[in-house]
Amino acid sequence: MSKDRYLVAPQREVGRFRLGVWLSTARWFVSFAVAIALWELCARVFIDNTLFFTPLSSVVIRAGELWSTGELQRHIYVSFTEFVCGYGLSIIVGIALGIVLAEFSLIRGLVDPWISMLYATPIVALGPLFILWLGIGLTSKIAIVFLVAVFPILINTITGLTTTDRALIEVARSFAANQQQIYTKVRLPAALPFIIAGLRLSVARALVGVVVAELFGARAGLGFLILNAAQSFDTAGVFVGVIILAIAGVVSVELLKWLESRLAPWRESGEQE
Amino acid sequence: MISANAKLSTCGLSKAFRKGNAQIEVLRDLNIDIFPREFVSIVGASGCGKTTFLRLVDGLIQPSSGTVSVDGKIVDAPGKGLSFVFQHDGLFPWRNCGNNTALGPELAGRPFKQARELACSFLRLVGLGGFDQHYPHELSGGMRQRVNIARALAAGADIMLMDEPFAALDAQTREIMQSELLRIWQETQKTVLLVTHQIDEAVYLSDRVLILTVRPGRLKQEVRIDLPRPRELSIKRTPQFVYFTDLIWRAIEQEVRDSINQEARTLASLHS
Repeated sequence: MSKDRYLVAPQREVGRFRLGVWLSTARWFVSFAVAIALWELCARVFIDNTLFFTPLSSVVIRAGELWSTGELQRHIYVSFTEFVCGYGLSIIVGIALGIVLAEFSLIRGLVDPWISMLYATPIVALGPLFILWLGIGLTSKIAIVFLVAVFPILINTITGLTTTDRALIEVARSFAANQQQIYTKVRLPAALPFIIAGLRLSVARALVGVVVAELFGARAGLGFLILNAAQSFDTAGVFVGVIILAIAGVVSVELLKWLESRLAPWRESGEQE
Repeated sequence: MISANAKLSTCGLSKAFRKGNAQIEVLRDLNIDIFPREFVSIVGASGCGKTTFLRLVDGLIQPSSGTVSVDGKIVDAPGKGLSFVFQHDGLFPWRNCGNNTALGPELAGRPFKQARELACSFLRLVGLGGFDQHYPHELSGGMRQRVNIARALAAGADIMLMDEPFAALDAQTREIMQSELLRIWQETQKTVLLVTHQIDEAVYLSDRVLILTVRPGRLKQEVRIDLPRPRELSIKRTPQFVYFTDLIWRAIEQEVRDSINQEARTLASLHS
């Protein structure tokens, strides 16, 4: 009947975890090195025409040129502003509206079909219309990014708040929680992982939104840079824009994954089991 | 007929649910008195309304008729002098064990630090000292049930309602948890009302075992378990223990058979 034998502290396996991180980092490095080598090889040996394809080294050189004139920084700054405003707005509105709609099922019933419809609509196709309505500047870009990014956040917030485990609500009730406490101590924390998953789904859509909006008409931005470079047969310039966007995408998605693992660690381990 | 010195009384407690057009009577006229520091178990065939009974007693659902009272005062909402140990552990996955255990005091408006200290002391009591920073998903089923019990204790109620708390555990862990529960009960001097379908669990733990009939659940028989205390797990192999389990099983056997037939009839009527 030894209690000590029964109570074995859970093993955290720090050593194995570190090794795992090291291995995955190593894999990243190898994968990148191979990709860069292949790129360089392809561009130099197989496709000799720099109009079709260009070696990574000339992309780096082109990036250096654009940077030294200050042009690259301007494009990054403009696109970044559009992204932050549009995505930020979609976070605020998505969560706030989600909270309201989760509370009032009557309004939700009225609005639901519209949400599903707009979510499925390729809103970027409305880009030219927004340029027409809101001009070539920041406002039209924010509108497009917002509309592209808001729906996953909105839908996930509603889902998170309306699918709370009944059993956990009952636990809170049995400990004499009032309605407000049930909301703040059960329903909101239970919805948090859903909301963050919504943010993660939205961030990539928002980035695409920025680029597409700029393709339809802009004075600056990474999408504008890509379009401009393509039209003046500057293939290296196209890749400069694309690579920066790719890095932005990876960084933002990884950041949100990290946030998710910090705020909802139980979900991660649930998937492993 | 509330006894003057009863800790917990139910008087004419009945419950019926409406399901479509049918009225399903789950419990009928239960009059039960439980005395301070008593350990009482309720056994019965599955579907006899054991869990419904506990939920009624806790005030989570309202009875169709009859009353529940604690210390002579009627219970009309949850959390008044009663705390619940759930079958599924019902721990909040986003809270570590310390914060899960602190739920009751926290909801009652105690300062955070005080609630945490209380929680840690009850975690120590259930044998989980030092586990307050761990999250439920890091623990085994048995340890989670210990947290579940600690949380109920920390709420500070005199009466613990336990709904098949060890049903999901494997046989060995369940045995250990039973003896742990007895130790905790003796140390805290709580009044316990436990629902179980395990006859040996009921006999091992209880002062009295109440047997319910099939739906609508009524009190069929009451068995007083006068085995000496403190009880070691080895008591389960003594002739007296076997005598009690046998007695209860015989009382329950017909009910179980009836319950199976009842299920079959319900299914048949649904398909016809």
